[in-house]
Amino acid sequence: MTTISAAERLTSLWETPKTTRGWFATVDHKELGIRYLVTAVAFLVIGGLEAILMRIQLSRSDLAVLSPESYNQIFTMHGVTMIFWYASPILSGFAVYLVPLMIGARDMAFPRLNAFTYWTYLFSGLLLYLAPFIGQSPHAGWFAYVPYTLTRYSPGLGMDIYALSLIFLTISTTGGAINFIVTILRLRAPGMAISRMPLFLYSTLTTSFVILFGLPALTAACIFLELDRRWGTHFFHIAEGGSTLLWQQLFWFFGHPWVYVIFLPATGMLSLIIPAFSRRPIVGYPFVAIATVLTGVVGFGVWLHHMFTIGMSDIAMSLFSAGSMMISVFTTIQVFAWLATIWKGHPVATASMYFAVGSVMMLVIGGLSGVFTGIIPVDWQAHSTYYVVAHIHYVLIGSNVFPVFAGFYYWLPKMTGRLLDERLGKWSFWVMFVGFNIGFFPMHILGLLGMPRRIYSYRPGLGFDSWNMVVTIGAFALGIGILISIINLLVSLRSGVLAGRNPWNSDGLEWSSESPPAPYGSVHIPLVASRNPLWDDFDEEDDPDNDRVLDWGRLTPVTTALDANPIGLATIPGDSLLPLIMSIALFAFFATMVFQMVFTALTMLLITFAIGCVWMWPRDVKEVM
Amino acid sequence: MSTVAQIAPPRTSLSTLPIDQRRGVYAMWSVIATEAMLFICMFGAYYYLGNNKDRWAQESPPQLRFPLILLAILLSSSFVLHWGERQLQGPVESQRFGLARIALWITVLLGMGFLALQGFEYYYHWSELAPYSDAYGSIFYTITSLHAAHVIVGLMMMAYIGVHPRYGTTIRTPHKPYSTIALYWHFVDVVWVFIVIFLYVIPNFQRMHHVH
Repeated sequence: MTTISAAERLTSLWETPKTTRGWFATVDHKELGIRYLVTAVAFLVIGGLEAILMRIQLSRSDLAVLSPESYNQIFTMHGVTMIFWYASPILSGFAVYLVPLMIGARDMAFPRLNAFTYWTYLFSGLLLYLAPFIGQSPHAGWFAYVPYTLTRYSPGLGMDIYALSLIFLTISTTGGAINFIVTILRLRAPGMAISRMPLFLYSTLTTSFVILFGLPALTAACIFLELDRRWGTHFFHIAEGGSTLLWQQLFWFFGHPWVYVIFLPATGMLSLIIPAFSRRPIVGYPFVAIATVLTGVVGFGVWLHHMFTIGMSDIAMSLFSAGSMMISVFTTIQVFAWLATIWKGHPVATASMYFAVGSVMMLVIGGLSGVFTGIIPVDWQAHSTYYVVAHIHYVLIGSNVFPVFAGFYYWLPKMTGRLLDERLGKWSFWVMFVGFNIGFFPMHILGLLGMPRRIYSYRPGLGFDSWNMVVTIGAFALGIGILISIINLLVSLRSGVLAGRNPWNSDGLEWSSESPPAPYGSVHIPLVASRNPLWDDFDEEDDPDNDRVLDWGRLTPVTTALDANPIGLATIPGDSLLPLIMSIALFAFFATMVFQMVFTALTMLLITFAIGCVWMWPRDVKEVM
Repeated sequence: MSTVAQIAPPRTSLSTLPIDQRRGVYAMWSVIATEAMLFICMFGAYYYLGNNKDRWAQESPPQLRFPLILLAILLSSSFVLHWGERQLQGPVESQRFGLARIALWITVLLGMGFLALQGFEYYYHWSELAPYSDAYGSIFYTITSLHAAHVIVGLMMMAYIGVHPRYGTTIRTPHKPYSTIALYWHFVDVVWVFIVIFLYVIPNFQRMHHVH
């Protein structure tokens, strides 16, 4: 048995045929990861264009580019798109692509579920963007406070589409989280004990648990909203004993942990990128790992700080204020670990490193304005002003968009096989960095001057004009910076320098396969002896007896959760059209629910179940010998 | 870089390991975690809406006889199903697949009885309390019907497993469908225990506290 024939056998087992059916039926995590990334970037561009529209409207006082109602719809769609359909899925995209490669597994634990979560993510986004086409977009901001969102004040289908597309999306996100949990806890390569996992896996795992425990609150809130709007219940009607604050409690019980869902995986990426370009293992690995987990846990105990102005007891406010400030300690631990890594290492100034360091800087600014808003008297002053807008954008762009771009410059060569242009990358960074800071720092000042958020225009003479013009210029510059990177990617796809296996001389297992990786990953399942497998003396793929090739079926080893001792072989199902068909049926269910076609909707639900039955039916084992 | 700390990895032979069948159970535990959280949010909403409202001073709390009969049905169904699970333990040759399948179908019948009786309970009380009466009615019917929806899903999945072919050496599934679905069914039962406590028993105690 020679290695070449083993590789051929593995290819015939794992490769998706390049046909139309294969394109729709693939369960390959690499293909699906790239689709997640492309779809999420498409939503980033759509949300960005919406932001540009708002900035044109606000660039000077008393402009009438947008009507008040369309301004409301556009800022709502901007927030919902960015927070739900861009920020979390883009990180899922990286994780879907990278997690199996990082842990030396051949695929995710549930590859068809993986395809299903991708398709439901796409279709839920399509359901949301049905709204502008029927002229009834949601218009109540991304957190959709009642009573404004009840039928009395928001007639039409906009808020129904908001609620139902979010419930649809939670199915996708929860399925993805379950997949990550089982994959990371069960499919790690032998020897990759929990103390040797790459830090990105810690953040993805923490995030997945946060999704499991946080998302149901959103589902419950959206169910209540939909019942109140369409089915005559009284959850939010005060006259009948309901409570408008119930929505806020449930929404923020989900909403604040969600901030860490879109923040932690990005810090996990920084915890891999910064050491790789500092040429040394990260300083304080256990502290960073524990801080990551604790951020996820404590993130469940801070949600009331979004509601300090509703009137509550001093003890509640004090506790949640203290909790909010405590959580910044965990972020600080990570920041100091990164700084110490750069300090003790030999940093290399690549475009990816530029984005990583820039992101740390803005994360610190955003974190500090967060500490300010955690202090109750300041919060009362700054609540619902542009100060909060500035804070959320510093945190979300600083700790999501910039790490994501660092990740693109770091991992895209692995995905496409070609390097991105470093000079264009650094140009892109500087334009984005300067544009972002010009665009968002003045918002702090505007907020302190008293400019409320979510107004479609303002009167002249309030002192808002010049700062708003600066903000608009900055927003355009940020957009141009992002455009430069997209052009850079398109150019590199055609004429980029070939990347080779490990262009950055990095430490993770994902760099041991060729670029782009073979459909099966590596021929021999790797053995892991340290936290930095490619930097140690141990040969991960040394396998003289071909014991770890597993070329007679779609198999990958199962290991124990803590020590990663091998205990079994997992059979990995092959390509299937069922995930796509099931997503279409679910889409039909939610779309018909928007129009209250109950019997059609129930039929669609039964069809979904029937497809699931076909999906799970036991099959004859196909084994290639 | 040889400065990296190394520990020798396990040298177990991979090619002779058995086929893993546990992933489905782990996924089901995750599903249960998130579904449990959904019910916790519902109970949270129940108490949040009831906060500072002394409802049981004026209104009579829900009667106990229906939920207790329903509880008895569900708990006995869980015992039957657990007995069925035990018939499938051990090596394939000694498993009693037929008995396990019978236990499954008995559980399905009990579950259908549960749904019928709960439907009767709704019908019986509808004139006093409906989902659109007030916020209490809304949350009461939302919690109990959300649980009923979980019962229906459980019944459909058990009926599906009930017609599965016997799998063994040539036909197999990467999971253990029977024990995975059983786990879900036990969870649905436990949720009903909490519903009985929070929505039925405690209001009756509160009423006694007011009347005495």
